[in-house]
Amino acid sequence: MVDTRPFLPVSSSDGSNPSEPLANRCKTMKVLLSIFFGLLVVGLFAALLASNVTENGHGSLASSTTAKPEPLRRVSRGPAAGVSEKSNWLFGKDDENGVAFPWNNSMLSWQRTAFHFQPERNWMNDPNGPLFYKGWYHFFYQYNPHAPVWGDIVWGHAVSKDLIHWLHLPLAMVADKTYDKSGVWTGSATFLPDGKIVMLYTGSDAEAVQVQNLAYPADHSDPLLINWVKFTGNPVLVPPPGILSKDFRDPTTAWLTSEGKWRFAIGSKINKTGIALVYDTKDFITYEKLDGLLRAVDGTGMWECVDFFPVSKTEENGLDTSVNGPDVKHVMKVSLDDDKNDYYAIGTYHEKNATFIPDDPTIDVGIGLRYDYGVYYAAKTFYDQNKNRRVLWGWIKESDSEAADVKKGWASVQSIPRTILLDQKTGTHLLQWPVEEIDSLRLNSYEFNQVKVQAGSVVPLEVGPATQLDILAEFEIDKEALEKATGSNVTFSCSSSGGTVERGALGPFGLLVLADDSLSEQTPVYFYIAKGSDGNLKTFFCNDQSRSSEASDVNKQIYGSMVPVLEGENLSLRVLVDHSIIESFAQGGRTVITSRAYPTKAIYGAAKLFLFNNATEAGVSASLRIWQMNSAFIRPFPNLDNKSQ
Amino acid sequence: MKNTFSLALLHLSFCFTFFALTHISAMELHGHGANLIETTCQRTPFYNLCVSTLRSDPRSSGADVAGLARIGADKLKAKATATLRQITALLKVTKDPKLTTALRQCVDYYNAIVKYDIPEAVEAVVKGDPKFGVEGATDAANEADACGREFKNQPKFPIYGSNKAVHDLSAVVASIVQLLL
Repeated sequence: MVDTRPFLPVSSSDGSNPSEPLANRCKTMKVLLSIFFGLLVVGLFAALLASNVTENGHGSLASSTTAKPEPLRRVSRGPAAGVSEKSNWLFGKDDENGVAFPWNNSMLSWQRTAFHFQPERNWMNDPNGPLFYKGWYHFFYQYNPHAPVWGDIVWGHAVSKDLIHWLHLPLAMVADKTYDKSGVWTGSATFLPDGKIVMLYTGSDAEAVQVQNLAYPADHSDPLLINWVKFTGNPVLVPPPGILSKDFRDPTTAWLTSEGKWRFAIGSKINKTGIALVYDTKDFITYEKLDGLLRAVDGTGMWECVDFFPVSKTEENGLDTSVNGPDVKHVMKVSLDDDKNDYYAIGTYHEKNATFIPDDPTIDVGIGLRYDYGVYYAAKTFYDQNKNRRVLWGWIKESDSEAADVKKGWASVQSIPRTILLDQKTGTHLLQWPVEEIDSLRLNSYEFNQVKVQAGSVVPLEVGPATQLDILAEFEIDKEALEKATGSNVTFSCSSSGGTVERGALGPFGLLVLADDSLSEQTPVYFYIAKGSDGNLKTFFCNDQSRSSEASDVNKQIYGSMVPVLEGENLSLRVLVDHSIIESFAQGGRTVITSRAYPTKAIYGAAKLFLFNNATEAGVSASLRIWQMNSAFIRPFPNLDNKSQ
Repeated sequence: MKNTFSLALLHLSFCFTFFALTHISAMELHGHGANLIETTCQRTPFYNLCVSTLRSDPRSSGADVAGLARIGADKLKAKATATLRQITALLKVTKDPKLTTALRQCVDYYNAIVKYDIPEAVEAVVKGDPKFGVEGATDAANEADACGREFKNQPKFPIYGSNKAVHDLSAVVASIVQLLL
């Protein structure tokens, strides 16, 4: 008889149960084992069924029902977008006990900028339809006339002779038609050959369907372009088949095809693939949708504020949007809804089939380079025929709480307009630089030559008030330290680093802006050089907000990216400090970071400027030229006749 | 010895089956052949709160994700408004100066939540620019969190329950709106 007891240990003693006949024992065993195996099969079957079902990956199946007050978790913005918990609204790792800051009027009113465009109050977002016409630069923008948060969106309007001194005009367009009842959203301007302007913009209609509408100046002889007319046949475009009604917005400036038609692009998505649709038109009234897409990139999500324009490979001026040819590269830019950043790719435009092919598909649209590694979104360029340059606008939102925005009565500014050019030295990057007209705000200057900043030291720079500054700086790092430093495999990134307290052999070093004397509050703008195990140097350019304010209800992230530094180049920096906004440009604008700071102490006369070097081995030498900056006195247009609605 | 062992085997197999069966029923509750409310709530940090809140509204049975977001926001508005009323009522009767300060701060936070954050979130969902809805709802959670911190060193936290509900529900709404991006 087969031994049915394979699991039983070999009995050392013979006859474990001498009273039970052997046959009976076997039978009982068989019964028990079959019951066991039977239940095992049932259990396995059940487990199989269960495993076919998707697991709930989220914790908290049992939500807390304890009576003991547990600390509430700070909620990040963008949990699904790959932004780590660490990088949002962290108020310092030890500051779990920090109370949200009791902002007072003095601190809040300091935050308002002196020379960045912002309306007198309430909320602003995307730049719209920027253009130059009859001696004036025009700027339109998404605006909420009722509150300092997004909503009730209409078009604000302002003009300037020099892109710096702005004068507010009445609202250009309000939500007074069925086709834009739910919002007069983003749009772009196109100049017709006869010099007339057409504006294509997105309306969120009465049913919240996103449609495209045509508008134009009521009076082309009015240089202030105060009144606008909406085409009676609007909407001129509705979402095409296959495109959802809420995935169709932000038409670009149009460009001419070789057939003499106008062509423009508009962003959308199909599932999680970001795409740009293309339309041709002869009159901006009837359109022909092209079969193909300008570009599509998987996993990037909705493409907002698409921009598409040529840059010269040989000249240092801008190009009209319709220019194409062998000496030209094209830039495609998108704003990613999913991660709130602006991305660009440099490549070639093939007119025949209306496609854009990036030079390097590994850094395709939406997965490669960014215009700006800080707070910067919904950017839009225009060709400035006045000075033959392409100018870039970008929306800079707040990094504080909405409650603070409600208290201070406003939210958002625009970046200083930047010229944008292909970086001919690298061919892979664009160069952004504040428009030259900003130099007109410079008042007295301070010069510092070859200031030595040893490893592990801080040097104050006496420049008087330090809340409105234009800083040009060059850094030279100790060559011997560069050579001697040991390389390592460890990859560095600004955002995952420990900020300026994380010391390397060759960095961090740079400037401390909006810092108080005791350095309890400081916003470092700095370089960090990392040496690979192969001896190659990589330079990073970062902006560390973790100690920019003692308040806990502000953004404390560290922004930045690698910046290409070519043979023979010194490390160079330009920083514009304007109260709660800091714009920094490395290597002539190859890598740019804009950030917001809300200090509680380092404000007014208590804000200072320092050089710092927190490297462990390398000393640096810095040469700087620093200017006090005047206000731009941005205000309503004086003595305006009531020509407005 | 043999009997003990067979008993143990039996016991083990019963446990196994029992575990597998409860596992199935748990799975069924949380996603197996589930409807939209359950799959949506799985993607929020407070599943049970999400499900009970949405289910309490009759509109939820036929709603799409945007509809669920809308329902969540409406419930949040009701809860936040009630909490604000609770706070202002407490302010009238409180004599303790520290408590008064904390409650006053919370009035500011809840004003932001009720008058700005939630309407922003609703408008963003309805009009089709959901990222502003995530912004508004996330900010509401953070404002509730800030209110909670006012009571960190206080012996009493009278509005703990409502405040936590507002915080958690805000986080839920933010997660649902995120799905619309």
